[in-house]
Amino acid sequence: MTDINTDNVKSQMRKGVLEYCILSILNNNDAYASSLIEELKSAKMIVVEGTLYPLLTRQKNQGLLSYRWEESPQGPPRKYYSITEKGRELLEEMDSAWRELVETINLIRNKKNQ
Amino acid sequence: MKKVVTVGIGGRSFVIDEDAYQKLERYLDKFRQKTGNGNEAADIMEDLEQRIAELFYEELSGKGEVVNISSVNKVISQLGMPDGSPVDESSDYSSEPSATAANQTVVKRLYRDPDNRVIGGVCSGLGHYLNIDMIIIRVIFGISLFMGGLGFCAYIIFWIIAPQAMTAAQKCEMRGIPVTAENLRKVSSYK
Repeated sequence: MTDINTDNVKSQMRKGVLEYCILSILNNNDAYASSLIEELKSAKMIVVEGTLYPLLTRQKNQGLLSYRWEESPQGPPRKYYSITEKGRELLEEMDSAWRELVETINLIRNKKNQ
Repeated sequence: MKKVVTVGIGGRSFVIDEDAYQKLERYLDKFRQKTGNGNEAADIMEDLEQRIAELFYEELSGKGEVVNISSVNKVISQLGMPDGSPVDESSDYSSEPSATAANQTVVKRLYRDPDNRVIGGVCSGLGHYLNIDMIIIRVIFGISLFMGGLGFCAYIIFWIIAPQAMTAAQKCEMRGIPVTAENLRKVSSYK
């Protein structure tokens, strides 16, 4: 029972910051969906890929991302995602929100230790 | 030898085993159901198909030309569902019958229960039919034996008119539960 709860809490946390992660990765460089997936998987942010597609589409419709088609060495052209100006603005806000969150957690934890 | 199907996935064509094709189709249907509707869903499905095509391509490179069921299983477990839930394997088989069963009214019939019988299974059959504990019905019949022959006659009449539930489907009807693959398995294990 406790296992299920901790897993659930962890996955909820990951879900909360997944959009932040996508924007951060794309802020560094543009990426194919598959390389985005690779990066998120190696960071253990996603377990199954299916969760990512609805997010990408939503962010694209919100104007945070854009994509273009690029030729691929093998097979048909692939979608190449990049962050938009609006996405960068949101990312900055998310960055400061994240720092605040980390500070708050540290504050609470350090209080407990004293 | 196996029958194969040619399908276009994400702008590429693949030759795929028939059983693998059916499994993939069921998976895509389920994924679509969970993504909701609107033009957002169309975009999501397009991305998903692109990815499936990519994975199949990698899977096939140097390993033959036909996509088989194990490649499909591998891809499905890698992709999962849009809400992150694991793909429910058991509902692969029961999803279609239960979808139709939900539209139909569930049939409940009086049968004699061969799995829980003392004499002819009449009491337990009546218990299922009336949703009463079979012990209570047995007690009522037991008492009625000492109060004239009415209970005895009733028991004989029920024994004659109610058929015995022989098949798993009849046992589902006896309990008034929909006849789905899952329920069939459940009632078969009651023996």
